[in-house]
Amino acid sequence: MKRIELKCITIVMAVFFSLTLFAQIDRSQQPKPGPAPKIQLGTPQEFQLNNGLKVLVVENHKLPRVNISLSLDNAPLLEGEKAGVVDIFAAMIGNGTTSIPKDKYNEEVDFLGASINFSGSGAFANSLSKYFPRILKLLADGLQNPLFTEEEFQKEKDKLIEGLKTDAKSVTAAARRVEAALAYGTSHPYGEFVTEASVNNISLADVQRYHQNFFVPENAYLIVVGDVTFSEVKALVEKEFISWTSAKAPNITYTSPSDAQYTQINFVDMPNAVQSEIAVQNLISLKLSDPDYFPLLIANNILGGGANARLFLNLREDKGFTYGAYSRVGNDKRYPVRFVASASVRNAVTDSAVTEFLKEIKKIRTESVTDEELSSAKAEYNGSFVMSLENPQTQARFALNIHTENLPANFYETYLQKINAVTKDDVLRVAKKYYKADNLRIVVTGKASEVLEGLQKLNLPIFYFDKYANKADNPLLKNEDLPTVAPEIVLENYLKAVGGRDKAAAVNSVYSLATMEGAAPFALKVTSKTMVPNKQVAEISADGMGTLQKLVFNGESGYQEAQGQKVSLEGEQLSEQKDERPIFPELYYVQEGYKLSVEGFENVSDQEAYKLKVISPAGKESFRYYAKDSGLLLQTEASMSAQGMTLTQTATYADYRDVSGIKVPFEVTQSVGPQKFTVKFTDIKINEGVSEADFQN
Amino acid sequence: MKKIFSLGLFLVSLYVGAQQVSFEEYDLPNGLHVILHQDNTAPVVITSVAYHVGAKDEDPQRTGFAHFFEHLLFEGTQNIERGEWFKIVSANGGQNNATTNDDRTYYYEVFPSNNLELGLWMESERLLHPIINQIGVDTQNEVVKEERRLRVDNQPYGRILEAVKENIFKKHPYRWTTIGSMEHLDAATLDEFLAFNKKFYVPNNATLVVAGDIDIAKTKKMVEDYFGPIPRGAEISKDFAKEEPITSPIKAEFSDPNIQLPASVIAYRTPSFKTRDARVLDMISTYLSDGKSSVLYKKLVDEQKKALAVQAINLSQEDYSTYIVFGIPMGGTLLSDLVADIDVEITKLQTDLISERDFQKLQNKIENQFVNSNTSVSGIASNLANYHMLYGDTNLINTEIDIYRSITREEIREVAKKYLNPNQRLVLDYVPEKNN
Repeated sequence: MKRIELKCITIVMAVFFSLTLFAQIDRSQQPKPGPAPKIQLGTPQEFQLNNGLKVLVVENHKLPRVNISLSLDNAPLLEGEKAGVVDIFAAMIGNGTTSIPKDKYNEEVDFLGASINFSGSGAFANSLSKYFPRILKLLADGLQNPLFTEEEFQKEKDKLIEGLKTDAKSVTAAARRVEAALAYGTSHPYGEFVTEASVNNISLADVQRYHQNFFVPENAYLIVVGDVTFSEVKALVEKEFISWTSAKAPNITYTSPSDAQYTQINFVDMPNAVQSEIAVQNLISLKLSDPDYFPLLIANNILGGGANARLFLNLREDKGFTYGAYSRVGNDKRYPVRFVASASVRNAVTDSAVTEFLKEIKKIRTESVTDEELSSAKAEYNGSFVMSLENPQTQARFALNIHTENLPANFYETYLQKINAVTKDDVLRVAKKYYKADNLRIVVTGKASEVLEGLQKLNLPIFYFDKYANKADNPLLKNEDLPTVAPEIVLENYLKAVGGRDKAAAVNSVYSLATMEGAAPFALKVTSKTMVPNKQVAEISADGMGTLQKLVFNGESGYQEAQGQKVSLEGEQLSEQKDERPIFPELYYVQEGYKLSVEGFENVSDQEAYKLKVISPAGKESFRYYAKDSGLLLQTEASMSAQGMTLTQTATYADYRDVSGIKVPFEVTQSVGPQKFTVKFTDIKINEGVSEADFQN
Repeated sequence: MKKIFSLGLFLVSLYVGAQQVSFEEYDLPNGLHVILHQDNTAPVVITSVAYHVGAKDEDPQRTGFAHFFEHLLFEGTQNIERGEWFKIVSANGGQNNATTNDDRTYYYEVFPSNNLELGLWMESERLLHPIINQIGVDTQNEVVKEERRLRVDNQPYGRILEAVKENIFKKHPYRWTTIGSMEHLDAATLDEFLAFNKKFYVPNNATLVVAGDIDIAKTKKMVEDYFGPIPRGAEISKDFAKEEPITSPIKAEFSDPNIQLPASVIAYRTPSFKTRDARVLDMISTYLSDGKSSVLYKKLVDEQKKALAVQAINLSQEDYSTYIVFGIPMGGTLLSDLVADIDVEITKLQTDLISERDFQKLQNKIENQFVNSNTSVSGIASNLANYHMLYGDTNLINTEIDIYRSITREEIREVAKKYLNPNQRLVLDYVPEKNN
C-alpha cells in the first residue's frame, strides 16, 4: 500500500511539476494582444511670412540633428517638346549662389557633414543641429539666388542625355515609362517623359524661367523637424526668407486623360527581357478628402496591399509566378491617378499571370470580402498609423496634407475612426466603381518571342507599342506576314466604300458648317468651302466675336487672316497649299506621281486598318489608315513643323453619314502635340452652296 | 563581452546625451543571446532574430541555399499553419520581413507595442519547430528564381557583384553571391534543407533582439517562456578557406545584355569590417566619392566630364571586405582612361597627407552618419544584432565612432598604401553584350 501510495504521489508530483513547467505558456495558442497603446498625435507649430511662405516646425530633441524640407505645392507642368527642363534645373540649382562660387558652396555643405538636395518641386536638407543656422542660410541663398551659368547648363544637359543611355535597355525603366504614357498620353504632365531630342531643345533661358516662375513662395511650405526651438527657427527663417519675392506659380490645366475604351493588352517588345513587367491599370479620380478614400484604401489593401493580400498570396505564395504582386491606388487633388496592379513574372507564365490578375480584379468587384480580410486590413492600417508616429516627420506630413489637400483640421485625429468604419458593402461598392474591369489597360513589357503567343490566346485585343509608347507593329509579324495587298487596291476599296469612284469623281465642290470643341474655352464655328482640285476657303468664328481666322486660296495664290491681319501665302506654305487636294485626294495620287506603299496593319479606332504610306512628289511623307473591313478612311498622320520643331498632326474620322449618295465623316478629331480638338459637322452639301467667286482674294 | 548594464555605462550615457543606446544583454542556458533595448517614446516594438549563417556557409554546389532557406521559414510552424504567417502579422497591425547576406540571416517583426508577446511567439515558433516540406520548397524555388530575375538578371549593371566576387575570391565562399545559382537551387533536396535547419537554426547560433516600448522585467520573463525550452544544438565550427594575397593584377570582362553604356570596376580585397583598417577604408571612400566636393566626383564628373557617375564603396564583410571603385564613362571616355584617372587620385592619397580641412570634413561627416544611424528602433535592433553577432561587441553601437575619431591622416595614407595597389586588384570591364 505504502509503496503504491508513494508511487502515486511521485506520479502526481511529476504531473504537477510538468504542468507548472508548461502552464506558463501554451504555445499552441497564438498570444492575444495587450491593451491598445495610447497614441499622442502632436501638431507642428506654424507661422507664415508676408511673401506667402508657410513654415511648420516640429521640435524633437531626441537626437542632435535637424531635417529641413521645402515643398512647393505647384500645379504640374507639361514640359512638352522641352521635357527635361526640370531635371536640368534640379541638377543645376544648389551648386553655388550669385555670391558664393559653386566649389565653395558645395565644399562647405560637405564640410559640415550635411546635405542639401534640390528637386523640381522643393528641397531637402539634413544637418547636425549645431550647424542648422548655416545650412538654413545656404539653402535659402541657393534657392533664391542660384548660380546659373551656360557652362554648367551644358554640362548638366550632356549628363542628362548620357544618363538616359544607362536606362536605354532597362526593361523596368521602359515599362514604367510606357505605362504612364499610355495611361495619360504624352501630352499630359503625368504621361510625358524625357528624351534625347527633348533635352536638345532646352536652353539656359528655359531653366531660368522655370526658376523664376515656379520657385516662388506663394504655395511653398518650409518644414523644420528636429533638435531646434520654434523661436530660433522663426527668427532664422524670417531673416533668410524675407527677401524671397512674393509670386504665385502658373496654374495651367490639362485635359483629363480617359480610360481605354475596352479592356485590352498593350504590348511592348523588349528582346532582352527575362521577366515580363505586367501592369494592369485604369484611371481613377480620388482626392484625399473624398469619402471614398478610406473604403478604397481598404479594398486595395485586400486586393494587393502587401504580403497578406490576395495578389501576393495567389501569384507568389500559391503559384510561384513572381517575387511579389501588388496593387496601388494614389490620390491627387487635380488629375486622375492610376490604379495599378503589377508584378514582374518570368516569361513562361506571363499569360497565366495576366489571367490571375483579371480573376482577382473580377472577384473583388463581385464578391464581398470576408470578415477576416476586412478586420485584418483595418488592423494593418491601425498598426502602421500607430507605428508611423515614431518618426517625427509624420506630424509634419500630416499637417502639410491638411494644408494642401483641403482636409478638415481633425482629419488625422479621426483617421483610424474612418478606417474602422468601413464596411464590407463599402469595399464592394468602391471596388466596382474604381476597378474598371471593362476598361483595363494591361501593359505587358517583355520578350515577344517568348510571351506573345500565350498572350494572344487570352482573347483580348492586343495593341503594340515601342519602348517610347509609340504605336508599333506586331513584333512577331515577319515581312512575309505583311499585307500583300497593293496600295491601289486599298484606295479603290475606299472609293468603293464611300459610294464608288464615279460618284467621288463627280464631286466638284463641298460646303460644310461645323462646330469645334477643345480649341478655345468657347464654341467655335467653322465654315468651309472647297472646290476641285485645290480651291479652299475656311473661316473660324465665334458668337459675338466675329471672324477669328480665315484662309482664302484660289488655287494659285491666297492669304491667311487672323485678328484683322492679312498675311499672303508664300514659299513652302504656298506650295503645300497648291499641292493639297481637299476633295478625295485618293483620286489624284496615281496620276500625280505620289509614291504609295502599304506598311502593315494597325489598330485604329478599334478597327484593323491598312497603313498606307504616301510620299508626295515634293517628298512630303504622310500616313493614311483605311479600315480593313469597311474600307473607310479612319485616320491620317502627317508631320508639320512649328517653331523649328517637328510635330505629328493626327486626324481621326468618324460618324460617316450619307450626303447625296456619298459617305462623309461628320466628326473629325485633330491633334497636334498637346492640343486636341473635335470638329463636328452640322451641315455638309455636295455640289451646292459654293461658287468660283467664293475663292477670290 | 556579455556585460550587464552597469552604472558606469549609465554615467557615460548621461554624458554623451541622447545618442547613447542603452541595452542589456545576456545568454539563455540554451545559448541564445538576448539583447534588450528599451525606448518608450513611441508605442512600437521590434522582435528580431539574427542567425549566424549566410551564403558563405553553403555547399559550393548549393549556392543561394541560405537565402532560399530564409524563404522557407515563412512557410509555417507546428502551431502556425502554412499561409498563416503573413496573415497573423497583418491582422495584428504589424510588418515583417527577413534578409540574408553572406554572413548572417535576419528575421524581424515590427508591431504596435501591445503585440510584443506575439512577436516573441512567432520567432520562437520559427526556431523551435518550423514545418519544412516539399510544397514549400517547390513554391519558394519559383519565387526565389523570380527574385533573382527581378534584382539581377533583368537589371542594368545587375551582375557587377557576381563578376567582382568570382574574380576577387578564389577559395573563400565569398566567391559566390548570396542569391546564388538557379541550377543549384533546382538540385537542392528536402533532406538538405532539413539538415541545414538542424545545423544552423539553433539557439546557440542565434541572437534575439527586443527593442522599443517594452518593460524589461516582463520582457525577460516572456523571452524565457518562449525561447527557454528550445534545445541547444551542436556547436558550430567555422573554418573557411583563407585566400592567398593577390600579387598581380587581374583583368576581366563581363557582358550585360541590359546595358548600353559600359562601366569600369576596380576591386581590391581588403580586411574584415572588424579591423581598424576597414574603418580607415570607409573614410577613404567618403573622401573619394561622397558629396559634390569629394575628389573623384569633383574631378571626373564635374570638372572633366569624363564620368557620368563614380563611386567608391567599401563592401565590408565579416571575413574579408571588397573595396570597389565603380565608374560609368561619359562621352566616349575609354574605360582604361577612367581607371588611370582614378589611379592618379589613389596615388595622391598614398603619397600625400589629405588636407587638415578635408580631414575635418571626414570627421563631420562621420558624426552626422553616427547621429543618423540609430533613428528608429528597428534600425537600432539591426545594429545591435550585427555588432554582437558579427563584430563580437554589442557596445560598438555606442563606441565605434570613437574608433573613427581616432583615425589619423597618416593612417589614411598608410592604409591606402597597404591595400590600394595596382598589383592587388581586379580591373573589370563591364560591357554591353555585343549581339544585342
